[in-house]
Amino acid sequence: MQLSLNEDQVQILDFIDSLAKPYATVPMHDISFALTSDELDGALVENGFLDVMAVEELGPVTAALVVERLARLPFAVEAAASSLVRPLIDPDLPRPLCLVQEGALRKPVRFLKAGATVVVVGESGVRSFTASEAQVRVAGDEVLYGYPVAFLNEVPGDARVHDVAADEVLRAWRVALAAEAAGLLAAALESVKTYVSERKQFGRPLATFQAMRHRLAEAQVVTNGVYWLALRAAGTGTAGDAALAALHAQEAAKRVGYDYHQFLGAMGMTLEHPLHLWTYRLKLLTAELGGRGAQALAAADAIWG
Amino acid sequence: MNFEWTEEQQAFRRKIEDFLRANLPADWEAFSKHGPASPALTEFARGFCRQLAENGMLFPHWPKEVGGEGRGPWEQQILAEVMWEFGEPRGGQYMNVNWIGPTLMKYGTEAQKARYLPQIANGEMLWCQGFSEPDSGSDLASLRTRATLDGDVYRVNGQKIWTSYAGRADTCFLLTRTSDDRKRGITILLVPMDTPGITVRQIPSLIGEGDIHEVFFDDVVVPVSQRFGEEGQAWEIIGFSLTNERLGIPRYHLARAALDRAVAMLKDAGDFSLPTVRAEAARCAALCEAARTANHAIVQKRVDGLTVGPESSSARYATVMAERNVCEFIVEYVPEALAGGSDYLQMHHQRGIVAGIASGAAEIQLNIIAGDVLELPREPR
Repeated sequence: MQLSLNEDQVQILDFIDSLAKPYATVPMHDISFALTSDELDGALVENGFLDVMAVEELGPVTAALVVERLARLPFAVEAAASSLVRPLIDPDLPRPLCLVQEGALRKPVRFLKAGATVVVVGESGVRSFTASEAQVRVAGDEVLYGYPVAFLNEVPGDARVHDVAADEVLRAWRVALAAEAAGLLAAALESVKTYVSERKQFGRPLATFQAMRHRLAEAQVVTNGVYWLALRAAGTGTAGDAALAALHAQEAAKRVGYDYHQFLGAMGMTLEHPLHLWTYRLKLLTAELGGRGAQALAAADAIWG
Repeated sequence: MNFEWTEEQQAFRRKIEDFLRANLPADWEAFSKHGPASPALTEFARGFCRQLAENGMLFPHWPKEVGGEGRGPWEQQILAEVMWEFGEPRGGQYMNVNWIGPTLMKYGTEAQKARYLPQIANGEMLWCQGFSEPDSGSDLASLRTRATLDGDVYRVNGQKIWTSYAGRADTCFLLTRTSDDRKRGITILLVPMDTPGITVRQIPSLIGEGDIHEVFFDDVVVPVSQRFGEEGQAWEIIGFSLTNERLGIPRYHLARAALDRAVAMLKDAGDFSLPTVRAEAARCAALCEAARTANHAIVQKRVDGLTVGPESSSARYATVMAERNVCEFIVEYVPEALAGGSDYLQMHHQRGIVAGIASGAAEIQLNIIAGDVLELPREPR
């Protein structure tokens, strides 16, 4: 057991922080539902940050740390699937990588666009293809989520079949989900904390009222839990740990999402404040892989049979 | 980062588990369910702790110069996890090795160390913790039990309440007021419980037989040599002690073991196929494991020689949530457990329900997290 960051991990996270510094704040007057940056994406790829899992001395825990750190940015980056799932399927698959559950075509797919790699996981195994214009249905202006999303029209019959067990990909997907949620939860909490510490009502900061303090403290506890369960799931590689991490992440996202906007009052309903850039990513993550109930059943299967 | 136990750590855990399986009586679960403070368990623990000591399992994490093996914080945690999983056969003596011993080593006089450490090391000694008072629970610094210096003795007058183990304890780790300064006016006295003027009354409780008491001090004479630390040093000393105590009870581990036991009972009854039940069990497991990792992250800080700060309150609150949910799961789906159907689950329940109260109320932990982890601006006083 050794739970402190090693020197390599500290160094990588420091590198990421300095590289991502120009993206750590939201551009003034930006009122997008989702923020993305091709420059940031390119810089992460160029510096190899999305490929750390394959490096022997770094491995999946470091990849999870990278995903967690990047998720804290207000910009949505397709890092989780590429960093934690792609190495199991084919490390050379072009990004962005879009994970889709077999039979779930009605659901929005994160980062989907023509040219993206779609990985379909389910009873027929693990298949991938490069999405064509015709296979992608743009979601238009109706999207409230903090990710760019689109819909998939079909899975082509000639999709490439990968020699990897679907369960193993689902396991890695759950780790990716938990690691990304951990970063989003941390950043959303930080954003709320700053606002309620500054905003005064009744002559004192909102954060001095115990009604809010205790709920924020509870949010800190679950956020910390998601962080550690995600890293542990990455480290042990067991199906049970992955399902527990994803379950706890989706539980936490559901628990804090409403509170955080509530605490910001009407400001939390605006697009001026960046909170939604984290919480509306978390919301879509709660829908991933069938939601909390499905993670819970997967965990029960893995732990108790 | 590595989340696997080393082979040595696994062997250490197995050694303790094997020892307990081989040496606890056959009717142990029925015997232990009445709580670590029951008269029967207290007396059992005196002999059993001596046996643990003889086999290097009572305080392997203590330094070699005081008879330990100098094992690290991980081994201390493993030891605590296994003991709690087995229903704490050390009874109230778990406190000795977790925090009373280490506190004595750090703050005790040579005479106090010479007197108490060997008794603790022999597994013979039971302490009680004279902290809470009728009007001073979470607001501990308002305590009023007065110790007045009179020549070379203190005269103690006042009342303590909720005192675990008081009915059987040999010595009380007593917080007294020696001046009116709120925190710097508190002084620790080590008071033999057979001193004239001490009256103990047991309070029947949900958490088991012999567990909580009122203790009255009526002109109790305590020699100055029994003062622990300097006058007014108590707040600093108990800060050190409580950090050790909060970590000392790995309730998440017992909660998880109880959950596994409840699931096994449900399976035997053919009732673990319902998705609602399975999902709820998994939710409880996630809370237990979240608490485990939060606690282990703190153990790591101790391994690294870092000061453990307010994050211990966060880990503790995670543990309280796990305990609460597991207790509720068992009541909802295995209700027969609390009506004589399972000694083990009854034992867990009676230890589990106190998780949010013992060693500092859960709400105080939330205050600490808000102020010192999140660093929110302070509430007005």
